[in-house]
Amino acid sequence: MSIAPQLLRGPSLMAEILLSEAEKAFIHHGDDLRCDGRTRLDYRPIILETGLVSNASGSSRLRLANSDVLVGVKVELASPLSEKPLEGRLEFFVDCSANATPEFEGRGGEDLANEICRFLQMSYMSGDTINLSELSVLAGQQCWVLYVDILILECGGNLYDTVSLAVKSALYTTQIPSIKVATMDGDQPELELSEDPYDTKRLNTQNVPCLVTLMKIGNHYLVDPTPEEECCSSSGVVVAVSGSKKITAVRKIGSGSLHPESLVSMLKTASEVGAVVNKILMKKLLEEETAGKTQKVGFMR
Amino acid sequence: MSGTELLSDQGLRIDGRKPNELRRIRCSLGIFAQADGSAYLEQGNTKVLAAVYGPHEIRGSKSKALHDKAFVNCQYSTATFSMGERKRRPRGDRKSTEMSTHLEETFAAAIRTELYPRSQIDIFVEVLQADGGNYTTCVNAAMMALVDAGVPLKDTVVSCTASLVKDTPLVDVNHVEQSGGSPELVVSILPHSGEIVYMSLTQRFHIDHLSKVLDTAIKGCKDIGVILKEIMKGHLTKLDTSLQAS
Amino acid sequence: MVDIRLASEVPLFDIVADSTEPKHLVTPGSLITKETGFMRGHGTYMQDDCLYASVAGVVERVNQLISVRPLKSRYHGEIGDVVIGRITEVSQKRWKLDTNARLDSVLLLQSVNLPGGELRRRSAEDELSMRQYLKEGDLVSAEVQNIFNDGALSLHTRSMKYGKLSQGCLVKVSPSLIRRQKTHFHNLPCGASIIMGNNGFVWICPTLHEDVAGGFVQNLETVPHADRQAISRLRNCVTALAQCKMMLYDTSIMHAYDASINAGFEIKDLLLPDKITEIALMVRKQFEMEKE
Repeated sequence: MSIAPQLLRGPSLMAEILLSEAEKAFIHHGDDLRCDGRTRLDYRPIILETGLVSNASGSSRLRLANSDVLVGVKVELASPLSEKPLEGRLEFFVDCSANATPEFEGRGGEDLANEICRFLQMSYMSGDTINLSELSVLAGQQCWVLYVDILILECGGNLYDTVSLAVKSALYTTQIPSIKVATMDGDQPELELSEDPYDTKRLNTQNVPCLVTLMKIGNHYLVDPTPEEECCSSSGVVVAVSGSKKITAVRKIGSGSLHPESLVSMLKTASEVGAVVNKILMKKLLEEETAGKTQKVGFMR
Repeated sequence: MSGTELLSDQGLRIDGRKPNELRRIRCSLGIFAQADGSAYLEQGNTKVLAAVYGPHEIRGSKSKALHDKAFVNCQYSTATFSMGERKRRPRGDRKSTEMSTHLEETFAAAIRTELYPRSQIDIFVEVLQADGGNYTTCVNAAMMALVDAGVPLKDTVVSCTASLVKDTPLVDVNHVEQSGGSPELVVSILPHSGEIVYMSLTQRFHIDHLSKVLDTAIKGCKDIGVILKEIMKGHLTKLDTSLQAS
Repeated sequence: MVDIRLASEVPLFDIVADSTEPKHLVTPGSLITKETGFMRGHGTYMQDDCLYASVAGVVERVNQLISVRPLKSRYHGEIGDVVIGRITEVSQKRWKLDTNARLDSVLLLQSVNLPGGELRRRSAEDELSMRQYLKEGDLVSAEVQNIFNDGALSLHTRSMKYGKLSQGCLVKVSPSLIRRQKTHFHNLPCGASIIMGNNGFVWICPTLHEDVAGGFVQNLETVPHADRQAISRLRNCVTALAQCKMMLYDTSIMHAYDASINAGFEIKDLLLPDKITEIALMVRKQFEMEKE
C-alpha cells in the first residue's frame, strides 16, 4: 500500500526530488512547450570559462543553468599499457562535491560519479575521438597520461552533457610539455623536458565527443532535461557524438524501456544535436583563445 | 630550505610580502542557487568554495538530533587537481577527516546552535587550489557562507596562520613557506571577544617566541576579519538596494 | 538551439545605490546599542547589557523591540502566513511537509477539511486512508496555524482557498523576496493564477476558480496551450526577478510579464542572462516612472 519515496525518484541517480502526480501530468502534456518555454530540442544557456585552475595543465568551468562543473587536467609521465605500447592514455575521475547537495556527502555521490566516469571512458575509447599516439613519448617505455579530474559543484539536471562539454573545453586548453629524447646512453634513453614553459603542444580536440542526453517523456523525447523532467521520465539514452557526427558510445538510462524504432530515431536526433553542440563549443573556445588574456571571472560574481 | 631564502636581507618574503602583510583577499557571496548559503574565498593563490545547507530537519538517522541545540556537520574536501601533485582522493583520508572535526568544533562554538533544537546545519568546504593556509581559508570561507545563509552567529569566527623565520614572525603563510620546514601556527578566534576557538602548531620553536608568533596570528585574524566585514557590508548594501528598487 | 557564451560576455547586474539615506547595516558580532531598555528581537543577542547582532542584515526597530532582518535565510514562519509545502512523509494522524523551514512542518489530520462537511468526525478509517487524500510528493497550500515549542510549524487547510494543488509550476526563491501582502493568491490578467507562499515557494497554475479549489481532487486534463504559455512566461519572469534579487509580488511580476511582451521576447529568451538583466532594468524603470 505504501509507496517508498525511492520509487518516485527519476531514473538517473540524481539528487532525490519529489513531484506530485499533477506536476508530472503538466510536464507530460507539454507538447512542444516545456515549463521554461523551451521547445524539445532547446538547451538552456551555457556559460563557459577556461584556464581557472593554475595548478592544472588545462582547465575549464562550465555552467548549464544550475549544473556547475569544474574540470582540471593534469599531465604526468608514466609507462604505457603493455597492450598499447605506442599510446598514451586518458584517466577520468569524477567527484560529486557535497556543495552540490548534502546527499553527496562522504561517499554519497560515488555511484553517480562512477556512472558518469565509466561512460566518459567508454565514449573516448573509439579511435575516432582523440589520437592517443600523440601522447606517446618513447615507444613502449614512456607516455603522457592525462588525468581528467571532474568536480561537480552544483546539479541542475543534465549532468552528462554538462560534464562532457566541460571536459572537451579543458582538453582543448591542455598544454602538454615538449619533451626530447636525448641520445641513447647505452640502453638508457634520457628524457629532456623543454626549459621553456611555453614550449608546449596541444591535442587535436576537434573530434572529442559531446554527450547528448535524450529523455523520453510521453511519446516524445527532449534534450537537456531539468531535474523535474528527469524525475518524470522513465527512460532515455545518453549518446556520445564526435565532432564528425559519429556516435562513439550509447547507453540507455532509466528503469523504463524503449521501442527499437524510437531508439533509432533518438540516435539520429542525438547525432544531429551533438554535431551542432560540438560546432558551437569549438567556435566559442576559439573565440576565447583569440581574445587573448582577459581578466578571469571565475567565481567572483 | 634555509631561512635566508624565505626572508631576504631586505626583510621581504619569497612572494615579495612584508612579514606582517596578508595575501590578497577576494570573496564573493551567494554564488550557488541551491545551497542556503555559499561563498568563494581567495587568499592569495589558495581558493576555497563553501556551501551551507540548513538549518534543516536531521538527515538520515534521527539519533543525531540534539534536543537542545542544532547539530553541526562539516566536510573538508580537496579537489584532486588543487595541488602541484595530483591528489588521489578528494576526502576520506585521515587529514581531511581531522579537518572536518576541527571545523565542526569551531563552528559549534561560533553558531548560536541553541536557537535550533533538533535541526542540522551542514557546512561543506571544497579546496579548489591549495597554496598554504588551506584550513584557515576554509574556516573563513565557511564563515562567509554561514553569513550568506543568515545563520545566527555569536561572532564572525576568523582564522589565520603565522610562522617564524630568522626570529621574525610571518603572517598568513603560503605553501613555499609552509613546506620550507618552518613552524606553522594556526589560530581561529572570535574577534569580538578575542577568544581562541582553535589552535595548532607544527614544528618547534622556543617557548619565548610563542607569544610573539601567537600575537602575529591573532593580529592576522583581526585584519582578515576587518576585510571580510567590509565585503559582507558591500554585499548587503547591494542586496538591499536591489530589494528596495522594487 | 544551443547558446554557449563566455563568462566574460555575461553582463553583471549591478544597481548603483541611490542617494537614499544609508540603512543601518550590521554583521554578526557587531554592537547595535549600549543603551538599556530595549527588547532583543530576532537576529540579536544580549551580552554584558549590550545588544549585538547575530546575523548580517538591516537593523529594524519597532517601539522598544530591536531586531536584525537577514537579507536571505530559511523560512521563519509566522502565524497566519500563507505557505506552500510538499508532503514528505505520511505518518499517524499527520503529514510532514517540506516548507523550507528549519524543521519539517506538520499538517494534522484534524487541521484539514475532509470531504463530507467541516464538522465531520475523524474516524479510524480516515486515518487509514490518509494517503488517498495527500501522499508523498503532493503540494498543498496552507496557512501557519501554530508554532510548536521546538520551532516546527503546524499548518491548517481549513478554508476553501487552501488545499491540494493541481497542475502547474513550482518556483523556489528566497523567502525574503516575497513581499507580505493582504492576499497571496492572485488571478492575474494574463490568464493564470499565482500563489506567493511566504516561505518562498511560488506556485503558478491555470486560473483558479473559487468553487473547485480546496478539495483533494487533482485535475489531470490537458491544460490549453494558451494557458501554458502564460504559465511558462510567468515562471521565467519570476526566476528572472529572483535572480536579480528583486521583490516578488503581483505588480512586479506583471510589470516583468508586460515588459517581456513589449520587448518582443520569446518565452525561452527569458532564460538568457542578458535578457534577464534587461527585464530587471525595465521593471525598475517602470517603478521609477510610477513614483514620479
